[in-house]
Amino acid sequence: MNPPTRSHSAPRVTRRAQARLGVALVAPLLAFVTVFFLFPLGNAIYYSMLDYNGVDPSPAFVGLGNFVELATDPALGPAFMNNIIWIVLGTAAPVVIGLSLALLMWTVRRASTLYRVALFIPYILPAVAAGVVWSWIYDPMRGWLNQLLRSVGLDALATGWLGNPNTALCAVLVTAVWATTGFVFVVLLSSLRNVDAELLDAARMDGANSLQRVWYIVLPQIMPVFLMIVTLTLVGGFSVFDIVFIMTGGGPSNATEVLGTYAYSNAFQLNRISYGTALALVITVLAIPFAVALNRLQRRLSFQESV
Amino acid sequence: MSISRIRLSPRQRATRASHHLLLVVLSLLSLFPVILILSTALKTEQDVKVNPFGLFSSFSFENIVQAWTVGEFGSHLLDSVLLTIPSTVLTVVLSTMAGYAFARLPFPGRNILFYAVVLGLLVPFFAYMIPLYFQLRTMGMLDTLVGTILVLSTTGLAFGAFFMRAFFSDLPDELEQAARIDGASEARIFAQVMLPLATPGIGTLTVFTFLQNWNNFLVPLLYLPSGEYRPLTTGLYLFVGGRSVDIGPLAAGALITILPVVLLFILLQRQVTEGFLSGAVKG
Repeated sequence: MNPPTRSHSAPRVTRRAQARLGVALVAPLLAFVTVFFLFPLGNAIYYSMLDYNGVDPSPAFVGLGNFVELATDPALGPAFMNNIIWIVLGTAAPVVIGLSLALLMWTVRRASTLYRVALFIPYILPAVAAGVVWSWIYDPMRGWLNQLLRSVGLDALATGWLGNPNTALCAVLVTAVWATTGFVFVVLLSSLRNVDAELLDAARMDGANSLQRVWYIVLPQIMPVFLMIVTLTLVGGFSVFDIVFIMTGGGPSNATEVLGTYAYSNAFQLNRISYGTALALVITVLAIPFAVALNRLQRRLSFQESV
Repeated sequence: MSISRIRLSPRQRATRASHHLLLVVLSLLSLFPVILILSTALKTEQDVKVNPFGLFSSFSFENIVQAWTVGEFGSHLLDSVLLTIPSTVLTVVLSTMAGYAFARLPFPGRNILFYAVVLGLLVPFFAYMIPLYFQLRTMGMLDTLVGTILVLSTTGLAFGAFFMRAFFSDLPDELEQAARIDGASEARIFAQVMLPLATPGIGTLTVFTFLQNWNNFLVPLLYLPSGEYRPLTTGLYLFVGGRSVDIGPLAAGALITILPVVLLFILLQRQVTEGFLSGAVKG
């Protein structure tokens, strides 16, 4: 992300003209970013230190009160745990499935575009549509999942997947995994193009089996991209909202409550604007160190590679 | 690639066939939900009541007509277009201008400003959505198309500026220098020399931003509360909320919501994947 340092020495007139045009070209974007991003972000920090309910014209200043309350909120622990489950499974499953698919596709040329399109489409669908159709699949009586289970004699497993507190989180998670796997697959497939095939052939000659080849030869070479995907899903896992909100709204009996839905319901349903804002900020701050650390690691790896 | 064998042994051929078989099965599994939407949307009214999820057991456009008129998906579609097109144009134009300046026009404070803009890649919308709601209310922009368009376009600017800056940085210096020696002004170098070279990047960014805006759920949910304007995403969501609703029109509504996205992707799949790839690899 470092801006390039251009060291050609242009004449002063040129440099002045460049600076003038540069400022003029950046100004409109900066106006948007300032008004609709930086200002509300700064305001979020201010809000989080108030006790604002959305109507009170002069809300009380409570300093770090909201954050202290967050630390002792008994509902927050389970929501946080759900985020952790979401992050771990929601990262591991698409990565494992996506990598397997990519390795499977690696040597396939014929119809490869068709497969890529079929597998990528779930990723570009709006979350609402995914939520609607998966709730049909999970339908207790007529849904495909239960029909399938009954047809192979596993009637005991059939349940109302989204209504049962024990299965709801997994059911929503499966929908999310379905939606993201295609993306992980396409990214990994394109990174496989850079894997040194000669090294792989050599390993095969030396008698390495396919699992060993993947682990010792392929994975190290695609590690930067691999870490990038982990970063993305991890950061996304902290701020997951859409699909949970759409499919269960955090229910049944808070079984699928995540930090995002909890912040939303506090702010917009319980009118605890400041409390919800404080939580949203905590979520952001939680995710950033992970993102930065993984990004560093990734960059160090790609640097080593290019040397 | 070392895999350019001319003749395959029977064993290799069998492996390859099994790969294809597996990929076909997985592709169908991946597409199954889309097929289910299509199938239910195209059923007759009676069939939906008896057998809503059986695949392609009847055929009619009744549900689509119902969704379009009674379900107001026609007007949702219009609102989606009215929100998505202007915000996409705004994001792409502003990002292209700023991306060029960030890449090739040194001016004081450039780096710090660039970091302030790409901070948006790190901070989820989530973090500032609540204060933004009250800010829009104060500005008189809550529940207006204009306000929502401005917010939507801003959510794309961090990535857009980042992407276009990377694109302009990769362009060669020679043409720019030559034009300068010929006495072209800086504005002319941008508009007539560099901008045409950036068309592939602009195309990718446009398709990518369009999809993001079309699929956006939270922005219209929060900032268009009254329902006077309602795009497809929140329209479909609130349609589900009304429990009395039949599955048939719901499926048709879902179909209307996903159809533009799926068609766009099939037509421009290279640009779309490229956009998402560069978003991932460089972000």
